[in-house]
Amino acid sequence: MAAAVAPVLRCSVLQRRPLRCGPGLRPVPGAGAALRPCSSRVAQEGINKPVIDRIIRVDHAGEYGANRIYAGQMAVLGRSAVGPVIQQMWNQEKNHLKKFNELMVAYRVRPTVLLPFWNVAGFVLGAGSALLGKKGAMACTVAVEESISEHYNNQIRTLIEEDPEKYKELLQVIKQFRDEEQEHHDIGLEHDAEATPAYSVLKTAIQLGCKAAIFLSERI
Amino acid sequence: GKRRGRRAVVRCQQYPPLRALQASAALRGASDEHKKEPWASSSQQHFDSPPAGHQPEQKPQGPHPSYTGQGGQESEDYESEEQLQHRILTAALEFVPEHGWTAEAIAEGAKTLGLSVAAAGLFHSDGSELILHFVSECNTKLSELLKKEQKLVQLGEAEKKPIDEFLRDAVEARLRMLIPYIEKWPQALSVLLLPRNIPSSLNLLTSMIDDIWHYAGDQSTDFNWYTRRAVLTAIYNTTELVMMQDSSPGFEDTWRFLENRVADAMTMSNTATQVQSTGEAVVQGLMGAAVTIKNLAGLNQRR
Repeated sequence: MAAAVAPVLRCSVLQRRPLRCGPGLRPVPGAGAALRPCSSRVAQEGINKPVIDRIIRVDHAGEYGANRIYAGQMAVLGRSAVGPVIQQMWNQEKNHLKKFNELMVAYRVRPTVLLPFWNVAGFVLGAGSALLGKKGAMACTVAVEESISEHYNNQIRTLIEEDPEKYKELLQVIKQFRDEEQEHHDIGLEHDAEATPAYSVLKTAIQLGCKAAIFLSERI
Repeated sequence: GKRRGRRAVVRCQQYPPLRALQASAALRGASDEHKKEPWASSSQQHFDSPPAGHQPEQKPQGPHPSYTGQGGQESEDYESEEQLQHRILTAALEFVPEHGWTAEAIAEGAKTLGLSVAAAGLFHSDGSELILHFVSECNTKLSELLKKEQKLVQLGEAEKKPIDEFLRDAVEARLRMLIPYIEKWPQALSVLLLPRNIPSSLNLLTSMIDDIWHYAGDQSTDFNWYTRRAVLTAIYNTTELVMMQDSSPGFEDTWRFLENRVADAMTMSNTATQVQSTGEAVVQGLMGAAVTIKNLAGLNQRR
């Protein structure tokens, strides 16, 4: 495994270049990828590990946060007329989170340290916006989903710039999720999100929070 | 820049042994260096064609000769500087038990490769690179060992170990690699803690612990990811320190310590799970009580 050692030595000892995953830097999982029960592995050679790490980490954090936001909204508005709508959107987010959990294990990505914080913050945001009424909850949904759609679009651009062939599966997943988040955004608008008092203030504040969350989750 | 100049100096002082074509060709084949032919081969002596793209498994630890063409010119093995440094450090490890993690060991290692002792000048005088190189090699060996074991389990030729046994065996295997150098290891630990080396040594430590958990089958994607790695890091570090001061035959005190720590960790995680489920049950009980009271007070009617 001479090839394994030289890159390791180079990357960690002699120079501080960003790690580009070379052969053997990470042990390649068994060739029959899905042989381990309940897990699948992705070959780690040739992918731009730092970029993929960030993408999966922040998306995972985002879906986790979205889950908690909807949970908060359901806690307050669950038994109102708009409950089923929120529940349905929440179910889709649960699927998204499940998919990113799988991707996280497959690419051996570290989750963000801030997860417990997003747990609480998401729930508080969801419950808080729902306490402003149905329109408030929808406004929150619109703001968050707009942020997430834009964020996914950025990631799609990044991956396409890198290598659309290599990251085909990941691109597909992100594109599909972006479309579903866009749907949620539209559903929010349909349900009178814009009629919320102080809509633009609320929306700006939430989107600022989302940007900060994205920035932090990518790095920490 | 400066380093390249130094390297050129080192190269010029290589002595060119005269070897038969076949022997040199065989040695070339065994090496993992890429070689290019900058000049047309002279009539009599030829070199092998460069080894095809990929690098063979084994690295020869002994002296590696260079040899000259007819014109007395040096053969240029176009290996990178990192590869050269890597070879020197690997050769130097053999001399660590005697000289410690020092420039002397590196100089001796360079000598066995047929390089000048000035090659030690490529590295820091406190032996940082040598120690980091050693740690990195050990981690790679551990990864390969774990990967091999995983393959055996996948092929059904071995039983899947329970987590505590897996962790125990992995940490023990990794610590056993220190045994030949155990006398000088405390010195190495203090060098690894120098502020200059902390990013690299921390990096190596965390990737090793991550590897162990990966092969143990950890699939957590929540805060448990951090908890597990923190716990295993603590176990590894404390066991390493115990090993430094262990004088029992075969380090049996250390392995017993390790076993106890791993068992503690398992107990802790079981307790944590129990506490959590108890907590959840209590919360549910309280919610039920609250709903009952609301019903009794007539507050739960929909209007």
